[in-house]
Amino acid sequence: MNRYAMSIDIDKCTGCGACMIACAVENNVPPLPQSNDRKGITWIRVFPVDNGEQGDTRQSAFLPMMCQQCDSTPCASVCPQQAVQLDVKTGIVGQMPERCLGCRYCMTACPYHARYFNWWDPKWPAGMEATLNPDVAPRMRGVVEKCNFCHGRWHAAKEQAASQGKREAADYTPACAESCPTGAIRFFDLLAGTPEAGSFRLLEKLGTETKIYYRSKRAWVKGLAEAPDGKEHHLA
Amino acid sequence: MTAGVAAGTLFTPAPWRLITDSAILSENWPGIFFSSHGAPTEKFTNCALCTAGCAVKARCVNDRPISLAGVVKSPICALGLAGLHMPFHTARIAHGDAENAAAAVRAAQGKVAVLDLRPGRTASWTYRRAMAALPGGIYLAPQRILNAVNLAAVKTLVSFGAPVLDGWGTPSKVLAAREHFSLIQVEKDQSHTGLLADRWIPVQPGNEPVVAQQIARDLPADGSSLFLSSAELPSVLKMNVTLGNLGHTVIARNETPVPAAWSKQAAAVHAIQNVADRSIGALLIDEASADVAVPWDVIAPKLTNSAVVITFASTQAGYGRYAQFVLPAAVYPEVTTDIPTAIDSVVATFRLATPLMAAPSGVVDAAEFVASLAKLDTKDALQERAASIHATGRGSLLSYSDQKSRPIKDVKADQFWTALNAGACWSDSESPLKAPRWEATIATPAICEAVRPKPPLFTKLYEESGLKGIAS
Repeated sequence: MNRYAMSIDIDKCTGCGACMIACAVENNVPPLPQSNDRKGITWIRVFPVDNGEQGDTRQSAFLPMMCQQCDSTPCASVCPQQAVQLDVKTGIVGQMPERCLGCRYCMTACPYHARYFNWWDPKWPAGMEATLNPDVAPRMRGVVEKCNFCHGRWHAAKEQAASQGKREAADYTPACAESCPTGAIRFFDLLAGTPEAGSFRLLEKLGTETKIYYRSKRAWVKGLAEAPDGKEHHLA
Repeated sequence: MTAGVAAGTLFTPAPWRLITDSAILSENWPGIFFSSHGAPTEKFTNCALCTAGCAVKARCVNDRPISLAGVVKSPICALGLAGLHMPFHTARIAHGDAENAAAAVRAAQGKVAVLDLRPGRTASWTYRRAMAALPGGIYLAPQRILNAVNLAAVKTLVSFGAPVLDGWGTPSKVLAAREHFSLIQVEKDQSHTGLLADRWIPVQPGNEPVVAQQIARDLPADGSSLFLSSAELPSVLKMNVTLGNLGHTVIARNETPVPAAWSKQAAAVHAIQNVADRSIGALLIDEASADVAVPWDVIAPKLTNSAVVITFASTQAGYGRYAQFVLPAAVYPEVTTDIPTAIDSVVATFRLATPLMAAPSGVVDAAEFVASLAKLDTKDALQERAASIHATGRGSLLSYSDQKSRPIKDVKADQFWTALNAGACWSDSESPLKAPRWEATIATPAICEAVRPKPPLFTKLYEESGLKGIAS
């Protein structure tokens, strides 16, 4: 039994995008040339944010956003196909593209805009298919996909544990946490550890009970987590 | 009327949209590729995409890398993570006429020159030896004022446009040092580094010397600051002399050893500005792994009217626009090459990038091409250089697989070569820091940003998230 969670130190994030690239490599997310800001698929996306000031008082930060792995899942409750499921053994919200019919209700219901629709069939430049991760199946067009804490890695860890006669999956780390050069992303088990003191979650007032914990020493960054608050938004 | 309605409907989006939607809902799609399964293996190498040369752990299936990661305590950047896709750039060129290119060089009227856009490699020494052997051969390299810095001693870093936090140095070293220095970023448009700097100062182009002087006035002259400039502006870098940074944060580093015979037979390094106008009859440009470039406006006057320009590149986006011959080059991770010492290393290093996949047929090795013009045999140049390094008995060898560092004296020559090919880094012994010779009157180096193709997955950063688009 696990309850996987993530802790992200926004003050350490440099917005280099390594997590986004590592995620796309790990999960076979294609680089479609026709994708854009609205139609691209980025299971983890780093948003530049600022405090809304200009000149010397202006401060910037980078906010990595992915599926917040809610315990109270708005996306699962609206899915007519039961294509979204909260795994009680791991706490991971899974997405089953084989069941998805592409209605995109879940995308509307997700308060974090962390779900992405496959507008096109996945395609890779000639020859690049041979570098795909064999542990993760590419998704077809017409379905929704999202971060699943690198489920392929979890399965691989579980298989490895089974081969050693253990029932529980050994420790595993999602690609984003592994690749983060500054160590801003920490993956942990809520049953074995706790998020750092002062951590906060996004839109806590919605009661979605997310398992992605953020932290920052800057008050204005914490304020962003409470949006919408009637003030100007600073997501770039 | 029915026929009219039916015909008219065809001019509305409805029927066409229905076709698309029914295809989506029925999942009537052609199918997707599934990578062949196999037992995953691990290989260690070094990233050759920039001179940081980060240690890389590659996960491979069926002799193909499927993901790259950094080695413990040495993370790699986003570019390095996507490096395994570099060979699949959609604009990659596949064919080139190497035979006619060689004939054109031999028939050229005037001097033969090689422009090496990543000097310091073993291939660079091949170029120098070949140019020494050819009558009138010239070896050209971009002129850099600042070649080595000691980040550990920096308390205030003043960067004029240098992407300090976005690809300038070795990620692990920059991040480790970042906790100890404050960063002032001076540039016209706020870059990624500017967003994260402690202070960002907008500047009108041309005003950099004045701003540099004003900032220097507020800093202590105790050798704890460092002035960087992306354009290598002498007026900015001179502040390092004014503030006593030479020998502290700006250092002179020993060169990675080369066989004695090479040094004796090598052509001198020239800056292209110092070459006489209309004197180069054949120019060969190695831009496959360019770190910086030289503006074409500086190169063009040096060429004779009938000059032949040959470039070794993976795409035509760089000097290919001006060249008569663009010869396809192998790219990381197909190449076997060494990586020059990073700018933020205080000691000389020697690392190899070894192939993680086979290069396609038809690629031309620039060093072999140039060596063949001078009838040099350089097939074992890397191994010869490794042997000369080993012969010095200096330094230590860090092996990535076990993270153990051993003095070079404890490693046999063949073990040294084997370890380098299996992922390892030789580092020279530490010696007291030396101040570099400083040419106060140096002219502004003619360098510009190199055209470097990005891996296909960089659409995630540039188009799908706009993460890099915020930079300017």
